[in-house]
Amino acid sequence: MIKILISTVLIYMVSSLPATVLRAAPATPGTISGNADKGEALYYNHGCYACHGYNGIGKHNIANDVSGIMMSEAVYLIFLRARSELNPPLPTQRMPHYSKTSLPDHEALDIYAHIRTFKDTPPEAESNATMQAIINSAQSQAPQ
Amino acid sequence: MANKRSNTPADKGNRISRRGFIGASVVGGATTVLAPAALAGSSEISDKNQPKSTPPSEQKMEREVGSSVPPKPAHTVRRAASDLMVQVLRDLEIEYVALNPGSSFEGLQESLINYGDKANSMPEVISALHEGSAVDMAHGYGRSEGKPMCALIQGTVGLQNGSMAIYQAFHGQTPLIVLAGNDEHNFLKVHTGKDIAALVRPFTKWDAQPKTLEQTLLALQEAYRQTITPPCAPVLVVLDSEIQKQEAGDLQVPVYSPPKISGISQQQADSIAQNLILANNPRISVGRLRTPEGINNAVELAELVAASVQTSATTGPMSFPQRHPLVGPGSNNSYDYHLGLEKAAAQVSITGPNLKSLIERDVAGVRFGWKEDPTLRRGPKPETLLSADAEASIPLIVSAVKEQLKANIRKSIAERLQASTKENHVFRMKSLRQAIEKKRPGWNDTPVSLARMYAELWPLIKDLDWCLASPTHFSGRHHRELWDHDKPYSYLGQFPAAALGYGLGSSTGAALAARDRDRIVINIQADGDFNYMPGSIWSAAHHKLPMLIIMHNNRAWHMELMYVQYMAGVRGRGTDRAHIGTTFRDPYINFAKIAEGYGMKSEGPISDPNQMVAALKRGINAVRNGEPYLIDVLTQPR
Repeated sequence: MIKILISTVLIYMVSSLPATVLRAAPATPGTISGNADKGEALYYNHGCYACHGYNGIGKHNIANDVSGIMMSEAVYLIFLRARSELNPPLPTQRMPHYSKTSLPDHEALDIYAHIRTFKDTPPEAESNATMQAIINSAQSQAPQ
Repeated sequence: MANKRSNTPADKGNRISRRGFIGASVVGGATTVLAPAALAGSSEISDKNQPKSTPPSEQKMEREVGSSVPPKPAHTVRRAASDLMVQVLRDLEIEYVALNPGSSFEGLQESLINYGDKANSMPEVISALHEGSAVDMAHGYGRSEGKPMCALIQGTVGLQNGSMAIYQAFHGQTPLIVLAGNDEHNFLKVHTGKDIAALVRPFTKWDAQPKTLEQTLLALQEAYRQTITPPCAPVLVVLDSEIQKQEAGDLQVPVYSPPKISGISQQQADSIAQNLILANNPRISVGRLRTPEGINNAVELAELVAASVQTSATTGPMSFPQRHPLVGPGSNNSYDYHLGLEKAAAQVSITGPNLKSLIERDVAGVRFGWKEDPTLRRGPKPETLLSADAEASIPLIVSAVKEQLKANIRKSIAERLQASTKENHVFRMKSLRQAIEKKRPGWNDTPVSLARMYAELWPLIKDLDWCLASPTHFSGRHHRELWDHDKPYSYLGQFPAAALGYGLGSSTGAALAARDRDRIVINIQADGDFNYMPGSIWSAAHHKLPMLIIMHNNRAWHMELMYVQYMAGVRGRGTDRAHIGTTFRDPYINFAKIAEGYGMKSEGPISDPNQMVAALKRGINAVRNGEPYLIDVLTQPR
């Protein structure tokens, strides 16, 4: 019971932090025990791409995120199980939660391993012609 | 872009000899003045004309399948009644009639394509492959131009095919005229009815089923008045097949008188003007007005008093130009007088009648679950709510402001204008840089990032006259921050009834408006929406409409996929089967090949963003030359 309570508090603390704070946290990548190749198929079959994109950038970005929920396998698993097993009376519309029955630990960790391969390296606005064209177009409309 | 309003080469090349489609039955004495009751809705029909319940004869069924000709006319008509109907539409400057051919309006159709010195022009016949597409085209055109075009459809069956599109246009409060042919005399009884308008009455504003030619001409004019008078909404005229074929004799087209749309009172206008002038920091929120003229007047008002402006131009058509120097928070956001024009505001909101005023037409008591007053759903609750058309009210306020402005006030207004302009630009640049930071993630991803799709489009179109016609909710609405929405038609808004099957047809209608106005249409087309009525692809190709279709091909009804995922997650049963019934897999759909099959230039599928950029340039060049073009882009889901 105490374990459940601690886990629930932990997950709510983690998931309630603003994204900017989470990203600013020190990157402390933990162990990756899953199989990323298997995880890629599971990521697709479970439709994780629906919200997180095929490469971790989508409605809710998870690429490059080695802090917060993705900081370790343990925290990630707690997040997955939080509302389905630890505290089912608290459903959310933000993300489906997964019981061990629907997504066993080893599959969840395969998905985790795949997510951790995501590396997004977008261009800087200053070095990108399209972004600069948009900015320059707006700047050209400055009042005289 | 060349003017192509006259007969297209395809039309000219495929002309067939005229057949004697002039009706056999001449109803004499078409001189009855149209009674108000007849215009008000379902008109009475004498018993002898009521459809009988007997099944269609073999001869009639043969006509339906094309192996039989219509009844032989009793005599030749010298002056066809349907010519006068076309003349009414021409006088009203109806540019287009989109039709899916039926067997109850051949009289009118023949007049449309052959009557007058400039046959098939004002209005021009647009071939639609489905009645829903025809209505959607009229919907897109109406949203773009703030005035109606017509959709001509067949009896009970065409009306039911078109009904979803009519429902969508009703919620879009868009002016359009549906003409439904009805043949009670010679044809399939299952295509007729005593009161076929009842099929769509709860979600149309007005309908009529005239019994004489004179009534018909008046009904067409009344339909126009009704649909452009707020609340703007679809209207329906049921056209009797035999009346279309009558001899018109010496009957003249009646003189049209425009509607009188009333605004606020002069006293109210004076009060608002005084408050705007005396305010230290006035603000005006502008929602959707009716016509471009209304926008011009709103701009004049804002400039006269140097009010900062909140616009709806990024959420729909006919609002204040987004990049006008006064749009933004102004020099500070402590507004001491806030006026709303078809929009909520703190002090005074002027809002015209909405769909609630049409509730009595829901005689069957369906009670559709729509919101009663969408204009005021969001935003502050006004201290004073003036129920009057804002567009009709603005000129009164402008005149009152001009009358009340004194020299000392003018100076402070000029200072406010300068300060507000400067601060709004600072705000804009800050917002833009923040937006671009949010668009950067996934820039080089494969499949293509939707943010990048919008970003790459902007430098290619920013110096053109463009219209973003498709709903963009599903593709991220990235245009809102990146593009400049300065025209009445810059963005035509979301699915008004949140129902799919709308984007392609309505964008095609917007492209109709664009074709002769040296404008191009951008349609970022959701794949799920595309599949309902893809036939508009052919219409766009046939009529050479300047529409660039960029597929947002995420291979799913994606919102529903996420709903099912959520439900499966809540129930703890896993999400690995959520794709069932929500995705387009096994096989994937190749939209470029569909377009090719309909005769539209196309390419794809493309998943590499760099290849997409090159394709966008080819597509823009094609539409600038008057050719529609489709690029099938495999995208990130959202």
